Amino acid sequence: MRRRSFLLAPLLLPGLAAAKAVTPYASARRGTQLVFPRDHGGHAEFRTEWWYVTGALDLPERDIGFQLTFFRIRSGSAETLDSPFAPTQILFAHAAVTLPGGRLLHAERAARVNLGAAFSATDCDVHIGAWRMQRTGADEHIRLRALDPGFAFDLHLTPTQPLLLQGENGWSQKGARPELASHYVSWPQLRVEGQLTLDKTHRAANGSAWFDHEWSSEVLGEAGVGWDWVGINLDDGGALMAFRIRDTSGATVYAHASLRDAAGQVTRFGPQEVGFTPLRHWQSPRNGARYPVHMEIRVGPHTLRTTPAIDDQEIITRRPLPVSYWEGLVRLDGALRGRGYLELTGYSGRMAL
Amino acid sequence: MTTLAWWLIRAQFLSRRTATALSMLAIALGVSLGYAIHLINDAALADFSRAMKSVQGEPDAIIVPRDSAGHVPLALIDEIAGDESVALVAPVIETRVRLGRVPTAVKLIGIDVFSAALLMPTLLPREGAATSGGIFDGGLYASPSLLDDQGLRVGAGATVIRGESRWETHIAGDLPAMAAGEALLVADIAWVQAHFGPREGVGELRVRLMPGSHAEAWRAVWAKRLPPGLDIRAAADNAARISNISRAYRVNLNVLAMVALLTGAFLVFATQLTAVAQRSTQFALLGVLGLPPRMRLLQVLFEGLAIGLPGSALGLLLGYGMAVGFTRVMGGDLGGGFFAASTPTIAPELLPGLGFFILGCGASLMGALYPAWLNRIQPLAQALKTGFAQRPPGQASPAIHGRRLMLLAVAAAIPLLISLPAIDDLPLAGYAAIALVLVLGIAAAPVATNLAFGAMARAALPAPLRIAVQNVLQAPLMAQVAASGLIVSFALTVSMVTMVASFRTALDQWLDAVLPAPHYMRSKGLPLPAELLAAIERPDAPFARIERMATGSLSLDPRRPPAALLVREIDRADPGARLPFTGAVQAAPEGRITVWVSEALQEVHGLRTGQALHLPLLGRDVEVHIGGVWRDYARQFGAVVMSTGDYRALGGRFEVTDLALWPRPGSEDAARRWLATEAARHGIESAESGDIRRISLSIFDKSFAVTYALEAAAMLIGLFGLAVTLAASVWLRARELATLSALGFDRAMLARAVVFEGALIALVGLALGLAAGIAVGAILTHVVNPQAFHWRMPLHVPWNQVLPIALATLAAGMLASRFAARQATRLPAAQVLAGAQ
Repeated sequence: MRRRSFLLAPLLLPGLAAAKAVTPYASARRGTQLVFPRDHGGHAEFRTEWWYVTGALDLPERDIGFQLTFFRIRSGSAETLDSPFAPTQILFAHAAVTLPGGRLLHAERAARVNLGAAFSATDCDVHIGAWRMQRTGADEHIRLRALDPGFAFDLHLTPTQPLLLQGENGWSQKGARPELASHYVSWPQLRVEGQLTLDKTHRAANGSAWFDHEWSSEVLGEAGVGWDWVGINLDDGGALMAFRIRDTSGATVYAHASLRDAAGQVTRFGPQEVGFTPLRHWQSPRNGARYPVHMEIRVGPHTLRTTPAIDDQEIITRRPLPVSYWEGLVRLDGALRGRGYLELTGYSGRMAL
Repeated sequence: MTTLAWWLIRAQFLSRRTATALSMLAIALGVSLGYAIHLINDAALADFSRAMKSVQGEPDAIIVPRDSAGHVPLALIDEIAGDESVALVAPVIETRVRLGRVPTAVKLIGIDVFSAALLMPTLLPREGAATSGGIFDGGLYASPSLLDDQGLRVGAGATVIRGESRWETHIAGDLPAMAAGEALLVADIAWVQAHFGPREGVGELRVRLMPGSHAEAWRAVWAKRLPPGLDIRAAADNAARISNISRAYRVNLNVLAMVALLTGAFLVFATQLTAVAQRSTQFALLGVLGLPPRMRLLQVLFEGLAIGLPGSALGLLLGYGMAVGFTRVMGGDLGGGFFAASTPTIAPELLPGLGFFILGCGASLMGALYPAWLNRIQPLAQALKTGFAQRPPGQASPAIHGRRLMLLAVAAAIPLLISLPAIDDLPLAGYAAIALVLVLGIAAAPVATNLAFGAMARAALPAPLRIAVQNVLQAPLMAQVAASGLIVSFALTVSMVTMVASFRTALDQWLDAVLPAPHYMRSKGLPLPAELLAAIERPDAPFARIERMATGSLSLDPRRPPAALLVREIDRADPGARLPFTGAVQAAPEGRITVWVSEALQEVHGLRTGQALHLPLLGRDVEVHIGGVWRDYARQFGAVVMSTGDYRALGGRFEVTDLALWPRPGSEDAARRWLATEAARHGIESAESGDIRRISLSIFDKSFAVTYALEAAAMLIGLFGLAVTLAASVWLRARELATLSALGFDRAMLARAVVFEGALIALVGLALGLAAGIAVGAILTHVVNPQAFHWRMPLHVPWNQVLPIALATLAAGMLASRFAARQATRLPAAQVLAGAQ
């Protein structure tokens, strides 16, 4: 669940709130049949979309975390403007690397479509400058490229399992109201090979990753202020996704989880069957936010615990306004074991819309 | 030894207060002028660069179209953004627009907020300023200065106009980071593009590379890959272009500074030479007492330095004061109009200050060099007995011989120097030639004296006059000293007057040729409103003939300011009817694009009539034929004229910016009224050719006003120099005068002799000054100006100005010698004769 973009959008685009009423955004409809590779591509008529890869490497070192996310936002502005680079479609990207026992490196980019950035509407292919996420080849591998003065990676992700359509055939409910929904496709257990560059030294890399692609126009109800989310590649080949949306008091507004076991059997859990309980907080020295980095998660009969690779995996983006959240590599223990990413948002104070 | 040196310096200063003070002042003037020009220009450049940086950011590379009708295509933006070394691309569209009826054009910058936030944060609108939709919804943001100047209100509607295009929008907010005085508008790049183009791209692409990238190497690689219509530049190139803009103008001001400094050097020379002569007995006595010759040399140099040090220090202070005062009152523009809008802060730095200080000291040391050498070689015994020897024994013939050889060498070097090209666009060899002409003029003084008065000495003259002639003939060195200041100052005056007059005459004739129509209309850099262009062609408009022109720009060399592109309704078969050609015109070949280039462009790029030239036009590289070279004193960086037919054949859009209008016979007044109404309605400029002519000449005169003030100062210093040396030479001959007095000469006769001597010396000085002045004027007109401005003009010596100045100087010189005569003849003859024993 990458809903931070929904919080970002109005901040970045002051006109969005006004434009929303008149912009004919498409909505995520129950029963929509997703077609691939077409639906790996961008859905420009929706308000928000993201392609998101998180993973853990075993080479050059165990438990190096990485993530690369591309966001697409339909601003609602300049819809009828006759210009090849009218600011209707904006792309953002975040890239990060977690070094075990070290620190989190991260970088960001932003551009509008046709001024150094673009996305394909027919397959997964999105780029901002040299940063790119592109699905190619007969083996359907996904190539990731991100570079920054501090770090760079160039990775090939090869699928080992079929796609995992979240919710009902990819229609994922986000709240009690039926309009609050998205189209949500996951691809867990991707094999990773490629190159990681740290301090200008190139090193061979391998590991496993998780791909998410989600698009929607309205998912966040009035009550939500933030959310907790996990996407874990289980050691036995299974995959677990769980999220909850919190209100101002920290209580759960909505929650959902799905578990696909090694045999491919998918079990879904409703709001009553999913719970998140903080075990330990880490306080950010930068903005004082207290993130529950150590979490107990209940999914149906399973009780699980997350342990962060390092405590400080807070990301503060600055372009063009500061937004803070915690997004980091965690180890999952308990009834199920694995590695994946935990995302915690809305902890550095309520974001003004 | 030091005590002695100090004591001598003090005595020298006390006994020759006026001369010393004048020398110091001349040095100070030279240093201050040079320093002030440097400070003002530096500050204006820094101010310009600052403004540029805030608008442009500090990109590692800038990709721009080479002509004003070109653009950076979208595909290239994506290709460059995808380069692994590129951290960020910031596309920009910059154009000039009008806001509603306000006549002044305003710069409108279309930005992409995502890249601007990182590269050009000063252009960002105020956060949350949007009241009804933000920058993406087509809001317009104005700098605080613009809001104030035009009385704009945030939230109010605004009509943005450029030629035929109109954009109805609103003022959404301000630009809080924009410096005061900066008047500009900012909007989203797509909104600017949709209304004002370019159709398939952006105006400019600024690139920030990854930290640690080799920017120069990167630019070199891309320079090879870019399509022909595009240039890649470093941000520093822009500073170089700006510096280039004012360089030519500074060249002329620097000549003036050099003039003042040289005058100072000659004054030091005159002062020190007389000082050496007057103290020859004292130095001889010190020599006998054990002062080594080396110390006699050093002492005179010390004294020269003692003039140079305080003079230079004073010059730095004066220069700083002048610069501060000037920028307070006039802004950063030195008169060339290049930095008209800036109000820079003067920030002196150590190194340039030190440089000018050393220059001042060097000038005074140079002046003291020859007197110091003379002092060293004075024969002690003879000096003790008979005083100063102008030609130490045994030195005479080789010195004269050597001097003739030196003069020949100097004279031979001048033609060589003036044939050398400019170095880095500075006419350094021309400067050197000017200095040599002056040296030659001064060194020729004894020779000229001999030639002029040798014959006269044999003629039958009244006794006082014969004495004067003999004196000048017998003491060529003193005559030379007295004349040197006059030669230099008069030469410089004549040269500047000649240069300015040549320029003005040429400009006058040129204005006749380029302003054939009685009326002109233009809208600065903006296309004229479509409404006006339609109105002017209606049958009720009182015009018999209309000629339209569109202006653009193109860059042949990224390091230089762009040349103007003038697309004119001109007859391809007879361009001479509209352009003042400097040479033969070749017929425009059928089917080939033909252009006529200005002299400046021809000089800079070494072009010839009839040759093929590659020009960046409409984003492409186009081969054109050069039909001829025409004279243009308006556009220093060159201009290319092309017919509308050829421009349209290339696919260009003819967006009219200027009109030349001929009223129908008999309806001149109606035309005048018609134009006044239309000009007011559309907020554009309308002028009659007579007005344009008058304004052009008055701007020219104003920009040379400072020249005249300096000439006057130089003449004054030259005259004082004459008076000082004459007084000294008379004083040296006090015993001789006393003898004459004892022989029966009365005071009036003595005075007449001295005044006549002064007049003779002044005549020699003026004659040599005139000759040198015309030579220097010719070098300025034919070498320095063409190299600096690339403008050529015929030489025109304004005798009606030169002769009165010469006569006034002669009169002043005679007055000065009368004063010297009175001083010398005041002492009783007996006392002088007794004292000399």
